[in-house]
Order: sequence, then structure tokens, then C-alpha cells
Amino acid sequence: MSKGGSAASRRAPGYPPWRGGWRGEPSRFHEDAKGTPLVAQKMLVFCGSDDPDKVFPPFMLGCGAQALDLELTLFFTLTGLNVIKKGGAEGIELPGAPNTLPGFLQVAKENGARLIACSAAFPIVGAQEDDFMDGVEFGGVAEFVSLAAEADVVLTFC
Amino acid sequence: MSELNPAEIQAAKVVDARGSACPGPLLEAKKAIGTVSVGQTIEVWSGDPSTKNDLPKWAAKVGHEFLGTVAGEGYDRMFITRKK
Repeated sequence: MSKGGSAASRRAPGYPPWRGGWRGEPSRFHEDAKGTPLVAQKMLVFCGSDDPDKVFPPFMLGCGAQALDLELTLFFTLTGLNVIKKGGAEGIELPGAPNTLPGFLQVAKENGARLIACSAAFPIVGAQEDDFMDGVEFGGVAEFVSLAAEADVVLTFC
Repeated sequence: MSELNPAEIQAAKVVDARGSACPGPLLEAKKAIGTVSVGQTIEVWSGDPSTKNDLPKWAAKVGHEFLGTVAGEGYDRMFITRKK
């Protein structure tokens, strides 16, 4: 996002100043004449399990959210980390689901999802950065909390 | 909404999403709507019964016009006009 101009000059006309966004950036309350948000809405999903019942909903809802133009971030921790380990997704299956887990991961990534592995959980589950798929980012508690504070939707599956 | 007559609709593109289930057809519709001009209509085919509920919601959220659903043989045909 451009940092140019004052916060006031970046605001959509007609909005009172108290609807200014986080750190003066345009907020999700700013809409154009057609009601389209000027800033993409964001969905953050906390994935804390490798139980198929709790692994597939984040991907079904997450990919759906991407279709509705929300930016998607999936945050994996504890046994949820197994989903984004190299070869991990292949071993998690849910019969009848519309896609396989590797298939869902591919769709989510093609549509720009961020996948974040919780490095705070590495000592607990005995993981290290080399264990994870290409493209996975690493973050801890501060990463999750700051993403959650800026997200429009936060879902938890654990 | 009046009865939708598919013969009267000129779809610029037909998306056959019968091979995918929720949320696949939504993503395929999203991809397809970007390939036609504003004012043109796409036709989405889906065998997933949830799509005919989801697609109007999707269109409303992203700002396109959902024209309606026509039952095909074992699938639904849905029409959406690109609005922006």
C-alpha cells in the first residue's frame, strides 16, 4: 500500500475523520460509490489441528472467501503444522470432500493465500523450518495478534 | 424475478464447473467474469446443489448481477452479468 500523502488526503471524500483506519491508512469502512471497499477485506484462519474435520473447513471457507475477494491468511500451529509440512497434506483425507488437501492448498496459493507456520510451536512439536513446504512463512504470537487485529474475519479451528 | 429464458441470453462465455464442488464453482466464476467485458454475461454450469445458493451471494458481494438459474439435466445453469 502506498504511503504517499497524508492520512486525510488518502481518505475517501465524505467520511468523517473518526472513521480513519489503522495508523491513518484507509480503513475497511471506506467504500466507493458502488459500495466496494477501497481496501480488500481480510480473513485470518487459525488452524490448530490435523484432524480432517478441522483441516478441511478452513480451506473450503478460505477458498470461498477468496472467491468473494477477501485476502486469505492461514495460520498453522501445533498439530495443524502437519498440514503444511512437506508431504503432510497427502496423508490427511476426508472422504466426500470436494477436493483433496493438496488440491485445496494449491487453489489457496494460486489465489494468493499466505500460509504461516507458528514458530512458537516448533519446540512443542519438534519441528524446524526445513520441514515445511516452499512458500510457507514463519511467524509467532505477535504475527498472529497483529494479523488478527487488522482482519475483518477471524476463524478458529482447533 | 421473471421467468428466465436462456434462449434470450447471449452468454459471452460458458463455464463448465460440473467437475468441481463448493467452493470450486465460485472460483471458476470469479476467474471467468474477469475475461468478459462489463455488460457481458457468463453462464456457469454446476452439478453441486449448493452453487445455486452461493452464486447469487457471491455476485452480490463482488458487485455483479445474478440473472437467475435454469435447471439443466442433472446440473444447474446460472447467468451472471459483469457490472464493473
